[in-house]
Parts: sequence; C-alpha cells; structure tokens
Amino acid sequence: MSHLDINISISYDSFTLAIKQQLPMKGITGIFGHSGSGKSTLLKSIAGLTKNVQGSIICQDHTLFNSDAKLFIKAEHRNIGLVFQDSRLFPHLTVNDNLLFAVKRCKNPQLTIKDIIELTDLTALINKKVTQLSGGEQQRVALARAILAEPALLLLDEPLSALDKQNKSMMLCLLSKIQKTLNIPMLYVSHSLAELQQVADNLLVLKSGDISHFGNIHQIIHQLNNNDTIHQQTSLSLPIKQHLVDYGLTSLRLNDQQEIYLPLIAQQANNKRITNSTISDENHVLRCFVFASDISITKHEHSGSSIVNHLAAKISNITAQQRNTLITVFCQQQVFYVQISLWSTKRLALKVDDDIYIQFKASAVHTLNNEGS
Amino acid sequence: MITQNPDLLALITTFQMATVTTVILLLIGTPLAWYLAQMRSRYKVLVEALVALPLVLPPTVLGFYLLLALSPQYLPGKIWQDVTGQQLAFSFTAIIIGSVLYSLPFVVQPLQKAFEQLGNDVLEAGKMLGAGPIDRFFHIVLPITKASFITAASLGFAHTVGEFGVVLMIGGNIPGETRVLSIALFDHVEAFNYAKAHALALSLLIGSMILLALIYLLNYQRPVDRS
Repeated sequence: MSHLDINISISYDSFTLAIKQQLPMKGITGIFGHSGSGKSTLLKSIAGLTKNVQGSIICQDHTLFNSDAKLFIKAEHRNIGLVFQDSRLFPHLTVNDNLLFAVKRCKNPQLTIKDIIELTDLTALINKKVTQLSGGEQQRVALARAILAEPALLLLDEPLSALDKQNKSMMLCLLSKIQKTLNIPMLYVSHSLAELQQVADNLLVLKSGDISHFGNIHQIIHQLNNNDTIHQQTSLSLPIKQHLVDYGLTSLRLNDQQEIYLPLIAQQANNKRITNSTISDENHVLRCFVFASDISITKHEHSGSSIVNHLAAKISNITAQQRNTLITVFCQQQVFYVQISLWSTKRLALKVDDDIYIQFKASAVHTLNNEGS
Repeated sequence: MITQNPDLLALITTFQMATVTTVILLLIGTPLAWYLAQMRSRYKVLVEALVALPLVLPPTVLGFYLLLALSPQYLPGKIWQDVTGQQLAFSFTAIIIGSVLYSLPFVVQPLQKAFEQLGNDVLEAGKMLGAGPIDRFFHIVLPITKASFITAASLGFAHTVGEFGVVLMIGGNIPGETRVLSIALFDHVEAFNYAKAHALALSLLIGSMILLALIYLLNYQRPVDRS
C-alpha cells in the first residue's frame, strides 16, 4: 500500500511542530487537535503552501519536499487538493466556471464534470454566482472543484467548521460517499472529534506540535478517554438492523444477541424512501458514539424501564478520576466506557469481572446522520 | 489640415503622451504594486514614500532634477545620446519619462490597495487547482481586480493629460513633439488670447469630468462583493 511519509519540523515564535509519521494513502485519515496544536500548519506543509519547513515529505514515492536536497515542488505541481475552511471560491466566476477552472487544469482528466455535479448535488446551482450561495452550498462547490482537479491526495482543512448542524450532516454523508465512490485518499483536519468519528478510518492526534496518538479511529478515541482532552465516549461502527419508523427508532446490531437503539436516522444510507413501518437495512454501517456520562450501571436486569438500551456486560477495568470513575465494560466483544460517580462505584461495590448491566436512552446515541431530522 | 492647427497638434501630442504613459505605467506599476502589497519588510514605507513623492512634490522640482538627469552632462542623458545620437531632454521620450514618474502613484496606489484586499486566499485556492503564477494573474487576480485596473489606468491617463510643470521643464514647448494641451493653454493666456484659452480649458475640464464620471460609473457597476 502506498503511503505519505512525513518527516518535518517547523518552528515559528515559540511553537515547534515536529512530525515523523507514515500515513496511509487510503480512506480518510482524521487529524485532530485543539487550537494551536499545528493541524493546519501540517496540512499547509503537505500542500506546499508554506516554505518555512525542514525535513522531507514523500507522497507515493514522489518527493514533494526535501530541505537537505533543497527540493521544493510548488503547490501547483504537487497534485494535491485542498478544501479550505472558507471555501475560497472565485467570486468572479459562476459555480460552473469555478468547476471548469479545475477541469481545465487537470492534467489527466478521468472524471466527467457532469458526474461530479450529480454526485455533489449541484445541478440546480450550476449557473449561479458563487456569492449567491449559502455556506453549505459554497463548501459543496469547493469540494466538487477540488475533486475535479483529480488530486492524488485531498486535504480538508476544517471544511465544516462554518456550517450549521444540518449542512454538516449533509457534507459528512457526501464526503463518505465521495471517498467510497472515487477512492481518493483524504486527510481531514478538524477540532471536532464528532465530525472525524463519523468519517475517518484512522486518527492522528496532535498535541502542542507533536503526535500524541495514531491508529484506528475507534481505538484512538477510546485511548483518548484516559486523557482530559475529550468528552469521554464509546465510539461505535455498527451495522444497521432495521428502522422502526412508527416508533422513530433505528436499531443497530451490536452482536448476535444484542442490539442498540437510537433515534430514527433521517438520511438513510441507501436513500430509500421510507414507506413501510419497519425497514431492514442490514447492508449499511452507521458510525455513532455514546458519551460515558450518559451510560449508567445497574447490577440487575430491569424489565420495567423506559430506557431502551439495556445490555448485559462485564467490567474489565475501573479507573478512579477525581470524584468519578471511568469503568470499561465489554458487551461480548464490544467495549463501552461508563462514567459514574465515585460514590456510586462504592455504593454498588463494583469491581473488575463483575457481571452488570449498562443502560442508556436512545437519545444518548449520537450520530451526525440524524442531526438534520 | 489637422497638423497645421497648433491646438489640434497639441491635442494629438497630449493623447499620444497619455496613451504611451498609461501603457508604460500599467506595465511598471502592476508588478511594483504587487511587490508592495506582498512586501513585509520595514523598508516598504520607504518605497511607498518614494512612489507617492510626486503627490506632494511641486512638479517643477521633479522637472528640474529630471532635466538635469536627462541632459547630456549627466549619465542617463549621456548614455541615451551615445546610443541614439539624439538629445534626451526636450524630446517626446523625455516627457514620457517625466509623465511616468509623475503619474506613478495614481496607478500604483489603487492597484496596491486592490492587491492587498485580494489577499492570498483565492491565490492559494488557484495554486491548489494547479494554476501557475501567470495563470493565476490572468485568470484570478486580473478579473477580480478589474475595476481597480480601470481606475488606475483612467487616473494615470487623466493625470498625464493634465500635466504642466514637469512637461514644461523637461520638454519645453516644441510643436508636434513636446507641446501638449496644458502648455498650449498657457501660451494662449500669455498672449492674452482668452477665447482660445477658454476653448482649451473648457474642453479639458469637460473631458476630465467625463473620464472621471466613467470611472465612477464602471466602479459602481462592478462593486467588489464581499458577502
């Protein structure tokens, strides 16, 4: 598998970004960090938009930059796309002309503009001036334009940070669809873990200019639970079992015996219109997450509770954190993280290997897929 | 015959001078304005002050030093004479040099401001789509800052048409060569020929007014949309 080899250091003022990492040129790699962690600087270095860099960047065996060899391939010759936070459409051009700008400069065009317009749902906007578009529409045009340049790698620098929840949800679905359809490797920078959780396959975490974590998205989010940097959570990627339309719920298959429920997802992956009261949708996997503080523990099975998610589990770890405890439990193979008070932990006399039940409401299962509902 | 009418001859000379000057100003002023817009050095203010100097300097001061520089006793004038065999001072070329220097801020300043407002964002977007520097200039910078180019060219042209002091100092009053409208007007006033002076003054006034109105009209039709 081809890689992006990054071995760079950038220093300015009192900040130093030092990255040595091999990233897969496949799927979506999320880059997460708080403000000032160096996310955007890293992306600009890869794009070739900053020259104050030491080290080397090699993309699929092509050296883009090597300070020792005094080699610097200009941004326009790197064949790397970048979708900016603020879209940066050309204000003097229509939507169609913005797209054509990319097409005309693409050296070996394989995609057709018509297909990308359809894929990004821009048909109705094609003759509009870009200044007449909403923020969400502008980002869709920016994404379509970047794709039409047919880059070997697409960089996304906080592309959804200026959008409302509904547009974010739509764009995340679109990004997933584009990645799967066109198979363009993407590096997605965001300070929103929820966004990255929805689309990224791998996650690189930056902290004060250094890599603190890198690996599978769910594993890294779970590793971050032990830091204070994120809202502790369980990150899930589960197949959809069915949509219970009459009850406004969607069920996900956790394992052979267990399932979890969440509010009916508005945008079904296969875009089927909901006509039946119960729809099986087994072929699609949904990304979702549950905050550790939204899950409670009971020692006995409750049959008379309104809480729909009630799962048998076994405690594998208990970590005291000030006045709370973070309890790691397993429902068969699936890990869940539960945050309860230290007092409750003592009151229930919880210990490792105890068989317990975890419970959480359907509304505690979050996915950006249903933010627009 | 047009060429036998000294005022029409002055009009033609003025038009030629303003056109050539405007073309040269755009060719010189655009990269200079771009450089100033991108410049981060502390010496930027010095270059800006130098460019803006003709705005505050009496034209005769600039004309005087140019007259010295372009005369055969000094290096620029001497080199010119050695190469071409002709004197540089009191020639059409001399008034073009003077006009370019004198009208430089009228072209550089609006362009510099436009480039500064344009920023690097859309240019970076162009780079990421594979556009090189010349491509970016002609397909991004020029269309977006078109109104400022029109303003710069019009101001440069109009200011050159209205020149007097510099042209008189380094060009003198040679019909068909350096005698421009403003000097012809001065001649008529000196000769107490107020009717002819009035005709020239009024036509300059109306011409300038029309030109400025056109600039504002063009800029009004093409406002920079920042939404």
